[in-house]
This record gives sequence, C-alpha cells and structure tokens, in this order.
Amino acid sequence: MKLMIADDEPAVRALVHATLEDDDYEIIEAGDGVEALEMARAENPSLVLLDIMMPRLNGLDVCRSIKSDPHTSDIVVVMLTAQARERDREHGMAAGADHYFTKPFSPLALLDLVERVREGQPDQTPR
Amino acid sequence: MGRLRVQLSVLLAMLGLLVAAWGATIFLGARNGQVSTESQQFEVSRFDELRRAAASFRVRLVDASANQRDYLLTSDRRARERFDATCRQAEDRLAQVGELARPWPSLGPMLQRIRSGYVSWERQTLGEIGVHDRFGTGAAMALVARGDSSLRFAQLRERNEALDEVLADLQVSAARRQRSTYRETQRLALDAAVMILATVTLIFFYLRRAVGAPAAVLRWASSRLAGGDLTTPIELSVPNELGAVAADLEVMRRHLAGRIDGLLRLRELSAQVVGATSLQGLCDAALSGLGREVGAVRAALGAVDRDGRLRLRALSGFEHPEATAGRIAAAHHELCAFLALKTLLAGQVVGIGDVDEVPKPVALGELAVVLRIRALALVPLVSRGSFVGLLALFWEQPHRLDTEQEALLGLAGNHIAGALAAALRYEEAERAAGEARAVFYAIADGVLLTDPSGRVTAMNHALELLGGWTEAQVQGMPYAEVLPVEDEHGRRISPEARPLAKALATGEPASDQGFGVDLVTRDGRRVPVAVSSAPILDPRGEVTGGVDVVRDVSREREIDEVKSALISTVSHELRTPLTLIHGFAELLVLRDMPVERRRAAAEEILEASRRLARLIDDLLSVSRMESGRLILDPRPLDVAGLVERTLSPFRAMAARHSIRSEIPGGLPVIWGDPDKVEQILTNLVGNAIKYSPAGGEVVVAVSCDDDEIRVSVRDQGIGMSPRDMGQLFEKFYRVDRDEVRRAGGTGLGLYITKRLVEMHGGRIWAESWPGAGSEFSFTLPGSGELAGEGRR
Repeated sequence: MKLMIADDEPAVRALVHATLEDDDYEIIEAGDGVEALEMARAENPSLVLLDIMMPRLNGLDVCRSIKSDPHTSDIVVVMLTAQARERDREHGMAAGADHYFTKPFSPLALLDLVERVREGQPDQTPR
Repeated sequence: MGRLRVQLSVLLAMLGLLVAAWGATIFLGARNGQVSTESQQFEVSRFDELRRAAASFRVRLVDASANQRDYLLTSDRRARERFDATCRQAEDRLAQVGELARPWPSLGPMLQRIRSGYVSWERQTLGEIGVHDRFGTGAAMALVARGDSSLRFAQLRERNEALDEVLADLQVSAARRQRSTYRETQRLALDAAVMILATVTLIFFYLRRAVGAPAAVLRWASSRLAGGDLTTPIELSVPNELGAVAADLEVMRRHLAGRIDGLLRLRELSAQVVGATSLQGLCDAALSGLGREVGAVRAALGAVDRDGRLRLRALSGFEHPEATAGRIAAAHHELCAFLALKTLLAGQVVGIGDVDEVPKPVALGELAVVLRIRALALVPLVSRGSFVGLLALFWEQPHRLDTEQEALLGLAGNHIAGALAAALRYEEAERAAGEARAVFYAIADGVLLTDPSGRVTAMNHALELLGGWTEAQVQGMPYAEVLPVEDEHGRRISPEARPLAKALATGEPASDQGFGVDLVTRDGRRVPVAVSSAPILDPRGEVTGGVDVVRDVSREREIDEVKSALISTVSHELRTPLTLIHGFAELLVLRDMPVERRRAAAEEILEASRRLARLIDDLLSVSRMESGRLILDPRPLDVAGLVERTLSPFRAMAARHSIRSEIPGGLPVIWGDPDKVEQILTNLVGNAIKYSPAGGEVVVAVSCDDDEIRVSVRDQGIGMSPRDMGQLFEKFYRVDRDEVRRAGGTGLGLYITKRLVEMHGGRIWAESWPGAGSEFSFTLPGSGELAGEGRR
C-alpha cells in the first residue's frame, strides 16, 4: 500500500517514516503543497497524510484539489496538522478530509488508522 | 402771590354786590310800588268818597232849599219837617266831607268857607221861616224876594262846586303819581341789570386775559411735556400764579431735560460698554464715555478672577500700557491694602480728590508720580449682588467729585458691572469653547458634529485624514453621505440603522457593537472603524445635535490579526517539536527498534527539545525586553575573539556553507554584554545560513571607524524585496516566501537582535539584493556609552 506524507518539516516526515516502516508500506514524501499535489496525481497513493501549514500551497487546498479530481478523489486524506482548534477541524472536514489528526499525535494511533484504512481497501493495496 | 385770587375775589365781590343791589332794587321797587299804589288807590277812592259826599251834600242842600220854599209857600208842617230833616242830612254830609278831607289839610280853608257859607245860608233860611211864622207868607215872600237867601245858596253852591273841582284835580294827580312810581322802579331795575352785564363782561375779559390765555399756554406746554418734548422752553410772562406755575414748569422742564440728557449719555455709555466683548474694549468704552462726563483722562479695569482675587485686566489712556501694568502688578499688595475695599464692596464710589493729601505707602506715592496721577475715583462693579471688578478713573489734576458725578459714576458702574460680568462669562465661555475646540480638533479619533437632522456642522482633522473630506466640503451634508459605512460583507449600512441616528432619535448614546464596520473613504478605500455616537442635549434635554466618534481600528484589527497569526505561529512552532518529542518517545517506549534507529529517534527528540528551548528563550527574551526586565551585564569586550568563538560551532555544522571572517588587527576594546553580542551575531549568522539554502559563502566582517566597531554579516542567499526590508525588524514579521516558511522560525530573531543592538547604543540595518544575497550590519559604540536602558 502506497502512502504519502506531505509536511514541510523533515523531522515530522521522519517520525511518520519511523512509525510505519516496519510494515510493508511504500512511503513517498513531499516537502510542500505543490509537490504533494503533483505526487498525489502521479503516484496515486491510497492514503495521504497532509500538513496544513506548508509552503507554496496549503494542505487544505491540496485536499480540495485531490478530492475534486476524479482520478484522485478516492484517496483517503488524513490531515495531520498543528492547527488544533475546532474551527480548523471543521475547515479541514469541509475541504474533504476523511480524518483529522492534530499534532502532537500518537504514532500508534496513526498506525492503527492506517491499518484500518488498508483493511477497508485491500484491493487497492499493491503488494 | 395771591394776586389772581385777590383780583378774582374783588371782581366776584363786586359782582355779588351788584347782584344783591339789583335784587334789592327790584324787591324794594316792587314793595314801594305796591305800597304807593295802595295809598294812591286809597287816596283816589277817598277822593271819590269825598266827591260823593260833597255831591250828596249838594243834593241835600237843594232839597232843603226846596223844602223851605215849599213850607214858605204852603206852610205845610210836613214840609217844615222835611226841611229840618234835609238840613240835618246836609250837615251830616258836610261833617262827613270834613272828616274825609282831614288827610289833606290844604282842603281845610275851602271846607271852612263852605261850612261858613252853609251856616250863613241856614241862618238866612231860618230867618225867612221865622218871618213866615210871624208875618205870614206874604212877608216871608217879600223877604225871599229880596233874594238874600238865594244869593247865599248860590254862593254855597259855587263853593261846593269849587271843592268838587279841586277834588277832581287832586284825584287826577293822585292817579298820575301812581303811574310814575312804576316807571321809576322799572328804570332802577334796568340800570342795575345793565351794570351787572357790564361787570360780567368786565370779568369775562379780565378772566380771559389773566387766566384763559395763560391757561391755554400752560396746557399746551404741559401737553408738550407730557408728549416728551423737553426742548421747547416754556415762556409765560404773566404776573400771577399761572406765571409762577409756568416758571415752575420751565424749571421742571430744564431738570427733566438735564435728566434725559444724562440718561441719554448713560445709554450711550451703556451701549458702548455692552457692545464691548473684551475687557480692554470695556475699559476703553468706560473711559471714553465717563471721561467726557467727569473729566478723567485714564482708566484701569480690574476683574475678580476665579480665585476671588482682584486682578488688573485692562488699561486705557496710559502711554505705555504694558510697563504700567507691570508697575501696577508690582504694587499689587500695597494697592490691595490701600483700596477702601470695604466701602467698595458695599457698592460705594470712592473718590480721592488729591492723592497728595492722602496718607499712603511710599511705593504708591512713587507710582502716582510715575503715572502722573493726581486724583482718582474708584467705581465698584457689582453685578447681581457680587463684586465682579473695579473701575478706576484717573485725573492728572486734583479733582473732587460732585454729587451728580458721583451718582453718574455709581449708575454707570452698574452698567459696566453688567457688561464686565458678561465679558467675563464670555471670556470663560470662549476659553471653554477653545478647550473644547482644541480637544475636538486635536483628538486622534475622528469626530463629527451634526445638527439634529444629521447634517454635518463640524469635523475634526483626524476625520478629515481618515475620510478624505475637508471640513469645508462637508458642511451641511448628511453625515451618512460623508461617512458611508459597510458591514463585514460589504453591504452598505442604512443611515437609520447607524448609532448616530439612534442617538438623535432617542437622546441616548449609542455605538456599533464591536468591530466589523468599514468606513468607505472618499477615494473608495475601506477602513475598519468603530463608531460611537451621542446626542448633544441642551439644558432642557432637547436634542440640539449629535456627535459621531469614528475610530480607525485598522491598527487594532491588524494587531488582532497579528496576534492571531502569532498564536497560530507560536502554536505551530511549539507543536512541531512537541510532536516530534512525543512521537519519537512513544515509538521508543512502545516499539522494539534496532539500536541505530533508537539512536536516531533520540537525536530527533534532542533536536526538537533544543528547538523548543530556543523558541521559549526567544519568547522570554521578547517578554523581558518589552517589560524592561532584560538587562545588560557590560564588560570590556574583545570583539575579534568573540566573533571567532561565535563562528566556530557554525563552522563545525555547516556542510554546504563556507564561513569566513575578516577581522583587522588593533581593534579597540569596547564595552558590552558578551552573551548578548554573541546572541546578536548568532542570530545574524544563523539567518545567513538559513536563508541561503543553496549554500555559498557567509562573510563576517569587522571594521572600526571613529571609535565605533561595525560588524556585518553577508550571505549569498535568497535576498529580500524592498517591501520586506521595511518591516524586517518588526516583531513576528516573517517574509512571506516559501523559502522563508520552509526555513521555519518565529519571526522574533531579528526583532530581538535589533533590540539588543539598540540596548548597546548601536544601530542595525540591512541591505539586500533579491536572489543575490543580503548584508546585515550593526555597530557597537567604542566609547563604552551604553544605552541607559540596560546599564547596571
């Protein structure tokens, strides 16, 4: 199963990597919003972890674009952001996100979520 | 002077006497007439009786004579008896005539003759009868024939007839006398009436001359006086009471004219003083008005100020008013002690006829000499029962006020006091208005005044700047046109819904709650504002206008936005390292990992912790700096060594960057806090590395000129636009570029750096070439002069 982590903070990407690397996930990384959108279209991952405050294009816009494009609208989008207010969560869900994780997050909870997504979508997971 | 009365009394007395005389005449005439008429009537009837008696005597006489003849002829006894009877009757009649004729003695002789004639006749006839009786008829007849008795009879008859004639005459004259009495009485009455008429006419003319004409003149004069004509003199040269009245009236007219003249002058003065709004104008008007009347040449006006102290406020007629005012002010205490304040407070005019004669302090004597004052009058100015000021009038020569002048000054003082009180109130109102105006125009918030219908009457400078209108342009315009406002969705807010409309309608202050209203300026810009309004009320609580206070809240809104951005940034910056610490720590705790990955996770935790610590340090620094609690610990600094020390960790870490220093020898030792200077340098070098992601050279150059050390840090990084340069050193400012965002940071570094440089008394600035790099420079003063803020 292919996952994408988009975050401008390399250490966060490293944390996600460290969380998921034991299982057979293919993890691709994007450092900003534009890169994330391009990669989502090109690689068509099953799940995207999206930071919101990213250079060039923010995560909400990336989410909207993914969800509005039929080719990518099936992608499960998980917002992974430091914006923890309830209003931010509403904005995120309004933009089409499937899940909303706030930083700091529990790596095990994330792993749990990813596994649930994989079990829900076995066919789409390339092995 | 009872001349007219005397004259009138005399005339009336005369008239009275005449009337009385007239009445008496008429009365007496009437009575006399009546009396004489009665007596004459009586006389006439007596004459009738007399004549009848005489006629009857005559008849008896003839009968007696016939009876005698008859007897003589017939000798009839009866005839003889008849003769005797008729004789007796004749004698009776004669006696009756004598009796009736007694009032007229003139008839006496005539009656005597008749009586004697009768006696003689009777004797003759009786003789004939004797003859008859003795000698018979014939003898008797012969005797008769001799005719003696006939003669005597004829004589008697004649005499009797003569008496009758006399009586007839007397009767006629009596009747004539009666008529003449009437005529006389009538004439007397007529004469008296004519005299009365003449007297009345005389009185009439006299009255007309002595009373009527002067009375008309007096009436005319008094009606002129009553009509207010006091200019025409009253002239009446009549030497009586009316003349005296006229003279009194003339005196009265002169007095009144004098009074009116005085009143007119006072009115003129009053008009002048009332027209004076300034105290100087009032003083000038008082001098020009009163100076003429009393001859004063200079004046000074003092007013009681708000502390209740009398202060000199204006001078008139002095050659050097300012110098004079200074002199008078210098002698203030002596003057206050000298003035008869008790008398003045009671409202009395105080005159000092000759200064030289009055005991006074030396200073005042000199003052009087210098100001050439010889006499003065002090007029207290009392308005509504309170002492509001003092007017002093001065003469160069001795001058004593007479009663009239004193009264005039007192009266004028009342007018001037009223005007002074008004002028002081005006001054106070002007001052208050000036304060209000100054506040109105100086206040930083926009303020707009309107009339009750919402039309603009005034606008202050802040609102002119804010809205783009000038005060002159908006006079009379509806305020909603001058200051259109829109809500947060860009919808125009209707005038009725605005606070000012509510304030004007209800008489209560109103405001729009909170932010969210934008003012549309004249040139179409939208400025966030907060508007509060209040009605302007007159003392009866009627709305006479409104005030709209428009505060530009763009700064507040900006701050609000900045604050919210800051919270967001800080939150993000805190959460990111926390996320890493939390996440890696959880992995370490809950998962089995190879040693090298454990180590890597621990290093991430370490780095994230450092980052968290740095952020907290920065925030605390800012907080300390802003509250003034950050203080320097200055000591002598070796700049060269400090730079090298600071650069070494960067050199150790930098992989893509080369860090070079250019430090000349012989740098002066300066004072500074080594930790803070190191912090400055670290920040700048850190930024240089952070914002030149492609690598390149970072040069730290130190130079010295004029006792001032200058350090510059140059990189070959992304550079900055001129717009960014302006806000570079502001708190939480971050250049809005991806590279910058990618580099992370709180926006506090340069702010802290600048504050630290300034605390050392230095300057910091930046130059930049977009895409080619930036250079940040700061100076540190060599003389050891530190900014006071942080000195220990």
